[in-house]
Amino acid sequence: MKGYKKYYGQKLFWYLLTLIFAVILNFVLPRLMPGNPVSALAARAVGGMTDSRAIEKVINDYIQKFGIDKPIYQQFFMWLGNVLKGDFGVSFSQYPRPVSDIIHSAVWWTVALQLPAILVGWILGNLLGAVAAYIRGIFDKAILPIFLFASNIPAFGMATFLLFIFAIKLGVAPASGGYGYDLIPNFSWTFAKSVISHYQLPFWSIVLITIGGQAVGMRSMSIYELNADYVKYARFLGIKDSTIVGYVFRNAMLPQITGLALSLGTMIGGALVAEIIFSYPGLGTTLLTAVTGQDYPLLSASTLIITIMVLIANLVVELLYGVIDPRVKANQQD
Amino acid sequence: MGNVMLEVNHLKTKYITRFHEDVYAVDDVSLKIEEGKSLGIAGESGCGKSTLALSLIGYYFAPLHYISGDIIIDGVKISDMKPDEVRKNVLGNEVAYIPQAAMNALNPTMKIIRFIEDVMKAHNIKMTKKEIYDMARERFADLGLPEEVLNKHAVELSGGMKQRTVIAISTILSPKVLIADEPSSALDVTSQKMVIRMMRELMEKGYIKSMIFITHELPLLYNVTDDIMVMYAGQIVERGTAKEMVFDPIHPYSKGLMGSIIVPESGVREHKLTAIPGTPPNLKNPPKGCRFAERCRYATPTCSAMAPEIKEFDNGRTYRCLMSVRKIREVYENGTEPGNETESE
Repeated sequence: MKGYKKYYGQKLFWYLLTLIFAVILNFVLPRLMPGNPVSALAARAVGGMTDSRAIEKVINDYIQKFGIDKPIYQQFFMWLGNVLKGDFGVSFSQYPRPVSDIIHSAVWWTVALQLPAILVGWILGNLLGAVAAYIRGIFDKAILPIFLFASNIPAFGMATFLLFIFAIKLGVAPASGGYGYDLIPNFSWTFAKSVISHYQLPFWSIVLITIGGQAVGMRSMSIYELNADYVKYARFLGIKDSTIVGYVFRNAMLPQITGLALSLGTMIGGALVAEIIFSYPGLGTTLLTAVTGQDYPLLSASTLIITIMVLIANLVVELLYGVIDPRVKANQQD
Repeated sequence: MGNVMLEVNHLKTKYITRFHEDVYAVDDVSLKIEEGKSLGIAGESGCGKSTLALSLIGYYFAPLHYISGDIIIDGVKISDMKPDEVRKNVLGNEVAYIPQAAMNALNPTMKIIRFIEDVMKAHNIKMTKKEIYDMARERFADLGLPEEVLNKHAVELSGGMKQRTVIAISTILSPKVLIADEPSSALDVTSQKMVIRMMRELMEKGYIKSMIFITHELPLLYNVTDDIMVMYAGQIVERGTAKEMVFDPIHPYSKGLMGSIIVPESGVREHKLTAIPGTPPNLKNPPKGCRFAERCRYATPTCSAMAPEIKEFDNGRTYRCLMSVRKIREVYENGTEPGNETESE
């Protein structure tokens, strides 16, 4: 137990440190963008006004409201205090809608799309890799290379490709959105069906690019494990191959779990792009509108939420790893 | 005379390399072990000791192939069985094998007891988990291993402990023959002693009925086994009791092997360490005559032309040389090169 405490303590410490840096960067980076979004916003509000004093007053009012006249560190602590209360401010581009409201409606679409897609891609990839290592033949010579090829297509390429084939040429799936544009979200069967059919293309575009990379790693890990001494020893004791394959699969999976943690950030980045291509109502699309609209508060909040999601996913994977690999515990006790 | 536990007659096996060449790694090996006896097999690396071990347990999976000969374990001829059948019915319960790399033989992510359960399951032994645990605990305690080991993972055990655990697991089904391939070579001296003691205990307590101990360290065998066999280039060159083999080796190769051992006893500095010159022959094309002829100090032209047969003299001691025992002793005493004439009895 002592070993675990140390392991978890260290992990939590590093994740906390990462979070702090992420929060700071999240705040600073969007504010380094050129241009002044408030003046653009104010310009819209003062459209048609001719009195220069009145215009100036409106602009000053906006500047005060968004707090951009204060020094940046002061802005940071104000922002941090609000964030901790769950208040991300008001969106510039969708003024006066609060950012937390926009994020709230987008984040579940992203979680519901990406979490299953990445997990399914990871599991299918690992199965394919294990089968390619153990059975070989067509799996090793044809199927795995095809998926490896697919995994090197960038996320937007795969998304566009699927969109072109299935939505435009074959017309079997809707091309954009999270549900039919003629529907209002509710718990009806028609709405659920619409959501499911809109889910397919973004989901598979993420799954398809995830499989290859995972499979190739799993394949070499499995081959390595299949030649391990413990496999031979188990054979010498008359243990069946089916049981031994179980040992091998489990041991080969362990580094794959770390691999998942390492590549999670990149995967989510790619998946966000897929969301944009399909105009999926998730964080990816929100992020795009925030960037094009110079919407600092929305941008900061989106990236912060994404960062936190990646960190949580990573942390869960790493903590899980400590439980399933006894070597972690053994190493910590030394 | 006890029951014969393992009998091997004229066993020949080969490796088929990636380039489809045949390498005759075990060539015409015959041996017999009775109940309660142990046999040591010694030889330099690459002489076919480990291949012989795999061949003896009927583990014929590529690249190793069976050619001819009989392997009989307690009356059952396993050389007629298919390798998969051998693995299912013989390995683990009739014959146990401890591999050379026993250090890494345990699955690192598995508790020892889980592995023992799998061994039981593989041999269709109907026991509950509780019964298996109790049985394993008893056996471990009897062999001087702490009970906690059962609930540990391999990574949590020290090297010596791992090795002893492997031996305990291998013999958990009380096999008739235990074949240990260099079980102590990778260990420090203390752990080595414990392993050796454990092997002896296994015999004394009847957990194994006979044992083959393979090593490159001849003096170790003197302490462990009843008989010693010396192997060279896939063939047995000499077999005798441990005492005979260490103090009175007949075959020039056995003599050379004894002479090349560092014994940390008095007089070692004065005693000149001798090495056998040259390297063993390539078994892809074994020499026509005696396989040791090229490296033998006492070889004559006849040796390279004529292959010696196994010869037996007083009480079952065998050797493979063209010279007679009398001649060999004479040669060793005089230290002179023999004449051209060789006797073949």
